[in-house]
Amino acid sequence: MALIEVEKEGKDMAGTQEKQPVRVRGFPFYPHFLLREVVVMCIVIGSILMLSSLFPAGLLKPADPFDTPSPIFPEWYYLYVFGFLKFWTFDVGPIPAKIIGVTLPMVVWYGLLIMVPFIDRNPSTELKDRKFAVGMGIVVLLGILYFTYYSIVNH
Amino acid sequence: MNLPDMIYKWFDDRFKISELLPPIVKHPAPEKVTSNPLYCLGGTAFLCFLILAGSGIFLAFYYKPTPEEAYKSVEHIMTAVPMGSLIRSIHHWTANLMIAAVSLHMIRVYFMGAYKNPRELNWVVGVLLFLVATTFGFSGYLLPWDQLAFWATKIGTGIAGSIPVMGPYISLILLGGTDITADTMTRFYAIHVLILPAAIIVLLGVHFMMVRIQGISGRL
Repeated sequence: MALIEVEKEGKDMAGTQEKQPVRVRGFPFYPHFLLREVVVMCIVIGSILMLSSLFPAGLLKPADPFDTPSPIFPEWYYLYVFGFLKFWTFDVGPIPAKIIGVTLPMVVWYGLLIMVPFIDRNPSTELKDRKFAVGMGIVVLLGILYFTYYSIVNH
Repeated sequence: MNLPDMIYKWFDDRFKISELLPPIVKHPAPEKVTSNPLYCLGGTAFLCFLILAGSGIFLAFYYKPTPEEAYKSVEHIMTAVPMGSLIRSIHHWTANLMIAAVSLHMIRVYFMGAYKNPRELNWVVGVLLFLVATTFGFSGYLLPWDQLAFWATKIGTGIAGSIPVMGPYISLILLGGTDITADTMTRFYAIHVLILPAAIIVLLGVHFMMVRIQGISGRL
């Protein structure tokens, strides 16, 4: 029922703007799209309030440069970098292990990430036509999960 | 003519609102975008940014970025300032949620191939936004000046400092010396509340403008 209305609105809009027909079949931003956004906003804000009330942000002892605590964890989204640094203990030729352990998960990883649209020249957006890209994506995700796990177990 | 109509007409005469608004209000979002919850993630990250800006400004009213005062001021926020503990917890949880939403948004865009021609540069801006968001997290981690803040920053700056060639410079710029001192704190504070907010606002503007011009990749 809602959909029929929407197609009509889409055509109305095509008439009011240019002579060229707009071929997009969709919902107008207001009110349809905005309404969905408001629903999502309520869920997100509700979740934040619930988490903040049940699990308030903590505060440990004041910083003491002469007392190293254990274990030291960074924010969870940096754990995989620490994990990889601990995991990689092999020198490659003249390059020391530590340089690789630092460079791969930071410089090389972000460099590759930023270059994704220029590396992947396959025009298809179908999952089944992009076996290599999808495979690489899954390998990288599993790698990040593994090194995150590795950093927690071997702190 | 009643008052709202008069106000509307006053602005319309000057800014032609009746011509500007309909393309925004009626701009169609593809059917699949409106019905599939995976498309909420980018908007969720933006909502998180707005909440972080609001709660962050509140915290900046009370926070003092010096090694002597930082910890005490955070304690003061949590124990004496009305709703202080709640606002700080909201800032904390929203920051984590934002990184999660941004990460999931990137995973969604990657697996749907939404970064392909003509949206290559929007992916690049997206990766920069991810970098800015995680740097926000890194710089904010030091500010409470508790044991975890200090030592995690010590290790983090140590790792950044051992990147070949650039490392020593990154380390010097971040620390303002060779160790974590009062200089480091003011630098991290300036990065957290001045540099990164300016960067994220510009990048978000470019990100949204590109989406607006190119439309959302509607495939599923």
